[in-house]
Amino acid sequence: MANIKKTHKNLMISDLLASIISSRDIIDILEKAIKKIDNKSVDLDFSNVKFVSRSAAHALLLMKERLQTRKDIYFINSNKDVANMLRVVAANRIVSQKKKPDFNPEKIDINSLFKEALA
Amino acid sequence: MEKIIIPKPKNDSLVAQLESLYKTFKNIQPRENLNFDLSLLNWVCPLLILPVSAYINNTRSSCETGRSSIKSYLEKIGFPEGVDSISLFQQRVQRHKSFIPISILKKEAGASRERLEALFSEKIYEILGSVSGAQNAVCYPIAELVTNIFEHSKKDVGFIFGQFYPTKNYLDICIIDCGRGFAAAYKEEKGLKLSDVDAISEVMRGNSVKPERERGYGIWTSKRIISDVLKGGGFVLISGSAGLIARNKKERLVSFPKFYWQGVIIAYRIPKPSGPLDISQFLE
Repeated sequence: MANIKKTHKNLMISDLLASIISSRDIIDILEKAIKKIDNKSVDLDFSNVKFVSRSAAHALLLMKERLQTRKDIYFINSNKDVANMLRVVAANRIVSQKKKPDFNPEKIDINSLFKEALA
Repeated sequence: MEKIIIPKPKNDSLVAQLESLYKTFKNIQPRENLNFDLSLLNWVCPLLILPVSAYINNTRSSCETGRSSIKSYLEKIGFPEGVDSISLFQQRVQRHKSFIPISILKKEAGASRERLEALFSEKIYEILGSVSGAQNAVCYPIAELVTNIFEHSKKDVGFIFGQFYPTKNYLDICIIDCGRGFAAAYKEEKGLKLSDVDAISEVMRGNSVKPERERGYGIWTSKRIISDVLKGGGFVLISGSAGLIARNKKERLVSFPKFYWQGVIIAYRIPKPSGPLDISQFLE
């Protein structure tokens, strides 16, 4: 029994990073931690993670793609909202459904704008 | 050191706060050392006070409050120095329960910075109450606007502050960097020469400075969530000498003569949610 090596490594995202994952650059810390692990298979455990931003979800998926030849990475125990964010961003990487937004603002001079504050 | 008397806003609207902000920084040279006089102020919101805090922190300028009636409020929110660690944030929140301190997010702090931002967001939606979907709706714009700072501003520090006004039943949030601003980002990353007004338009059209086509929606989607899901009472975005002011489905672009904010200021006002919130349509 002593020679059996655990094949999976579990990384608690909330302990390593935070309970809300916002920034794209923070995923670099996770990537470095994964690269230090000897195990081929790594579970990224999203228990206690309340929210993942769209940008962080995108960075997570890119990291998974970068490491896929060396590691099997699984996202586990994510809540409904986190899972949904990861699914939407993953789907958009394959088939983007987003249309560029329309933006047709009115141009206004500063005096007219500030007069409104008094209205 | 030049003394700048911050003018009292004409009322509590975001545009009135913006006017005071404009007059405060009008005719200021880049990185000029200033002494801000806050003695005329009897009420401030994040859009006015956070840029002053960021400027002081960034230039080692100073301030004086005199006999201002907001002196004790400014002490409670940690003005002007702010807090840059989880322990300081928690100490202040414990001491002054309904006040969130000005928070300084430093890129180099890595996971600690992420935890400080998480604490800030958690405090915000705790104040807003346990409405279904509020966590996502509150976290999305804060997260996307802060990550923008560290990706695009070329500055390693961001400033964030929020204040809930129980008698007015709304929350104001402001997020700031003192980095290169949108126009310089487009010039340096894509070789585009744009005015500040045109650079804001590019941002709002989802045209990222990054090459991946699925990027560039952070600010635009955040604004939609603030306006349409959180029923926001206003959204202000300033970069360089230009600003976008959005309210009641109206979007206006304005140039600010003799004014230049080195970086980006984003401020918005949201009413306390009264029913469930759903941001899912804005994720597709």
